[in-house]
Amino acid sequence: MSNQVAAAARRKDKSASALVEICSVRLGSALYGMPISHILEIVGGARPQPVPLAPSFVGGLVHYRGDVLTAVSLRQLLRMPPLDGPQDILVLESSGGCFGLLVDSVGEVLTVPAADFEPNPSTLDEARRDLIAGAYKLQNALMVMLDPERLDPVRLGVAEAA
Amino acid sequence: MDELTREFLIESQEGLDRMERCLTDLEERPDDAALLADIFRSVHTIKGTTGFLGFKRLEELAHSGENLLGMLREGKLKVSAPIITALLHLLDGLRSILKTIEAEDSEGDGSDAAMIETLEQLQAPAKSDAHKQGAHAHSASANAHAASKPAAPVELPAAVVHKEPVAAVEVAAPKASAPPILPPPPESAEAEATRAKAAPGTSAAESTLRVDVALLNRMMNLVGELVLTRNQVLQATSADPKMTLLSRRLDMVTADLRESVMKARMQPVSNVFSKMPRIVRDLAQSLHRRVRLQMEGQETELDKSLLEAIKDPLTHAVRNSLDHGIEPPDVRETAGKDPEGTLRLRAMQEGSHVIIEVSDDGAGIAVEKVRAKAIERGLISGDRAALQPERELLQLIFLPGFSTATAVTNVSGRGVGMDVVKTNVEKIGGKVEIDSRVGKGTTLRLRIPLTLAIIPALIVRSVHQSFALPQGALSELVHVTPEQAATTIEWIEDAPLYRLRGKLLPLVFLDRLLTPAASADRARDRDSFIAILDADGRRFGLVVDGLADPEEIVVKPLSVALKGIGLYSGATVLGSGDLALILDPSAIAMKAGVTMTTEEEATRLSGEDAADVGKGAEYLLVEAAGRKAAVPLGDVLRIEQMPMSRIEYVGVRPVINFDGQLLPVDDTGGVLAASEGNPEAQIVVVVCREGTRHVGIAVSHVLDVATGAELYEAGTTLRTQGVTLLKECVTGVVNLGGIADLVADESDPNEWSPTAEAMQ
Repeated sequence: MSNQVAAAARRKDKSASALVEICSVRLGSALYGMPISHILEIVGGARPQPVPLAPSFVGGLVHYRGDVLTAVSLRQLLRMPPLDGPQDILVLESSGGCFGLLVDSVGEVLTVPAADFEPNPSTLDEARRDLIAGAYKLQNALMVMLDPERLDPVRLGVAEAA
Repeated sequence: MDELTREFLIESQEGLDRMERCLTDLEERPDDAALLADIFRSVHTIKGTTGFLGFKRLEELAHSGENLLGMLREGKLKVSAPIITALLHLLDGLRSILKTIEAEDSEGDGSDAAMIETLEQLQAPAKSDAHKQGAHAHSASANAHAASKPAAPVELPAAVVHKEPVAAVEVAAPKASAPPILPPPPESAEAEATRAKAAPGTSAAESTLRVDVALLNRMMNLVGELVLTRNQVLQATSADPKMTLLSRRLDMVTADLRESVMKARMQPVSNVFSKMPRIVRDLAQSLHRRVRLQMEGQETELDKSLLEAIKDPLTHAVRNSLDHGIEPPDVRETAGKDPEGTLRLRAMQEGSHVIIEVSDDGAGIAVEKVRAKAIERGLISGDRAALQPERELLQLIFLPGFSTATAVTNVSGRGVGMDVVKTNVEKIGGKVEIDSRVGKGTTLRLRIPLTLAIIPALIVRSVHQSFALPQGALSELVHVTPEQAATTIEWIEDAPLYRLRGKLLPLVFLDRLLTPAASADRARDRDSFIAILDADGRRFGLVVDGLADPEEIVVKPLSVALKGIGLYSGATVLGSGDLALILDPSAIAMKAGVTMTTEEEATRLSGEDAADVGKGAEYLLVEAAGRKAAVPLGDVLRIEQMPMSRIEYVGVRPVINFDGQLLPVDDTGGVLAASEGNPEAQIVVVVCREGTRHVGIAVSHVLDVATGAELYEAGTTLRTQGVTLLKECVTGVVNLGGIADLVADESDPNEWSPTAEAMQ
């Protein structure tokens, strides 16, 4: 696996006691995680400006420090019904520049042992496997890890065109 | 690359640029000693510094050029075309080595033997002279190859030119008989080179500073941010009287700052124009044309990035003019023209645009040829071509691969060129227009925006969100109420149309365009606004739901994922803090299938041309108390609507007070007299320019703009004065000069006599 999350996990494997900080986000009832190393900022209560005729994964535009960021809607990507009202935005940095990720709400930052990471099960359907890096085993739940590189609108745009 | 080399590169480039300008000048004024001295200095400085930095190839090349220049300066050789050509080649040679150094930090391993050989051969006649005179030092100079051993006669003048050019003239003249002066010691070469480098630079260096363009770009972005924040502050504080003063100051400071930063990025167009004499000269020689180049408005300033961007289009345009425009001298003579053609480069600022015109007095573009070619290439069908107005046909030459040249020359005619001009200019938000008359010449007009980052835009509303519409493309706005919509918006099948002053204008509904899934219901139960847009000759009306204020917006690029949509050219943050997408009028026109206009518009011509063709001027048609009158459109500054209460009287003369400036109002039509005593009545005042003053004309309505036709008095060929034929009706033209001066009326005649009399 070439992505950074997995690479980080592998690195951490060597020292079994290594801990990873993960920001938890909520989408409906499900819990997702994003390594905090990729998060530039969290913007709460944003109302993205819709872009008519844009690809479906685009949740709109948001104003972030003088720049106009394209926000990717995680709900759209996971084929969930859209949510009314303000949403939280994770400002992420990927190789293609900055972009926003629209989620229902941002939760606490969890510190988990790197060793608890497991890659995607082979039974996961193709579409989801493209977006999800794997999962951390928490005591009473699984935290599904998102990979910022895979959520980059440029990459998604190419994938959609193909 | 070390600092010293970098500095050397920059300085040498500047030196060579100057040399290029001087060389083309020198061809016209071969006896100008100051010019020669200047050229000599450029080459000498390069030679001196290269020796110091150890660039052997450059040094040898510069040295052989310096020898030749030395002889020219001493008057032993006469300036001739082959010499200029050789020196220009030398310049190119030096430039290409400098470029290699910049890229690879080494001189590269090309050979300059051929060029050095040519340069030496050109010295030959002088060399034999020198032999006759038996002057040992001179022959030494001609034979000198090695730069490590600077030749004496070359060094001598070098010492001279460091003084004022006047001194150079005096000393250079008797030079031929001055060999006995002792050659200076070789090590002085470096010392002199450094002196030469330092001397002209000191005064400028103290007051100027080189700044990285990247830093300027960053400053520009930050100022953009500030403008945005200011807009938000202004909107947020508008209700609070305590903040008004502060926010007004913020507004002013921001505007000033923005202007200063923009100014820092401005460069005169002469930076690009100065390359043209050389290009014109070379082309004229290879094409056997005789061309006189006239340049105007070189001091006009343009943003650096834009200046870079127009360099190529301008070169293309100049090439085209020489190759296709200006005819060979014999052809010109047969046509009864001056065998020497004129190419005119003109730059001027017009509002928020800079206009750059490339005009020639050549053959012009034969519209018939364009038509034939377009049919041959299958660009348009024969029937359509027959109907197309000239203006639109001329636009065809901007299509890729279009060329009317019968022979492909190595300069142009391959059909690349005009489309490059157009695409490059449009890329930076500019426009290209072309005017051409067969036998008279062609004028290509580039309209370049002053700046890229901040543009004026009208904020419009549709599908419950705001969009920014660049004002550059906007020509007028029409308000249609729901009741009117049923009758004024007409349909041919599914195509909506609006009747604008009798012409059908295709309409594009923004909401339908953006939400294709929505029902195609024609009825509109809300107010509509039609923004009439002119995007590259495509004229159409964009129907939106509402209008907000115009705003100066800061253009932010869109992510690649959204560029694919094609309708938006960027996004911006509005004063309210909301985001708005910036609409791209040409893309909308394209997407909606609007083709180039078939509306025959009066081709805009420069004043002299207009007189040539006898085409009438444009007039503003106004109505005053039931009678129609015409005001020359060129004189109209603006049209103001105001309540009658704004009108005040000085004696019996009506005036309007504009912030302390009194505007005399003409009431020949009796509009003011009719509404007197009713301060609520709305009147319309057309503000005009008359000479150096402004005057107002009170009217009831402004009706239209129309082109006037001339009238002649029956039985004579005398043009009638003061009347014109507008829309088939004889209409009186308002005599602006007849509106009396306020000063002349009211003041003591003894006080104003000198100036006012001069004006009478």
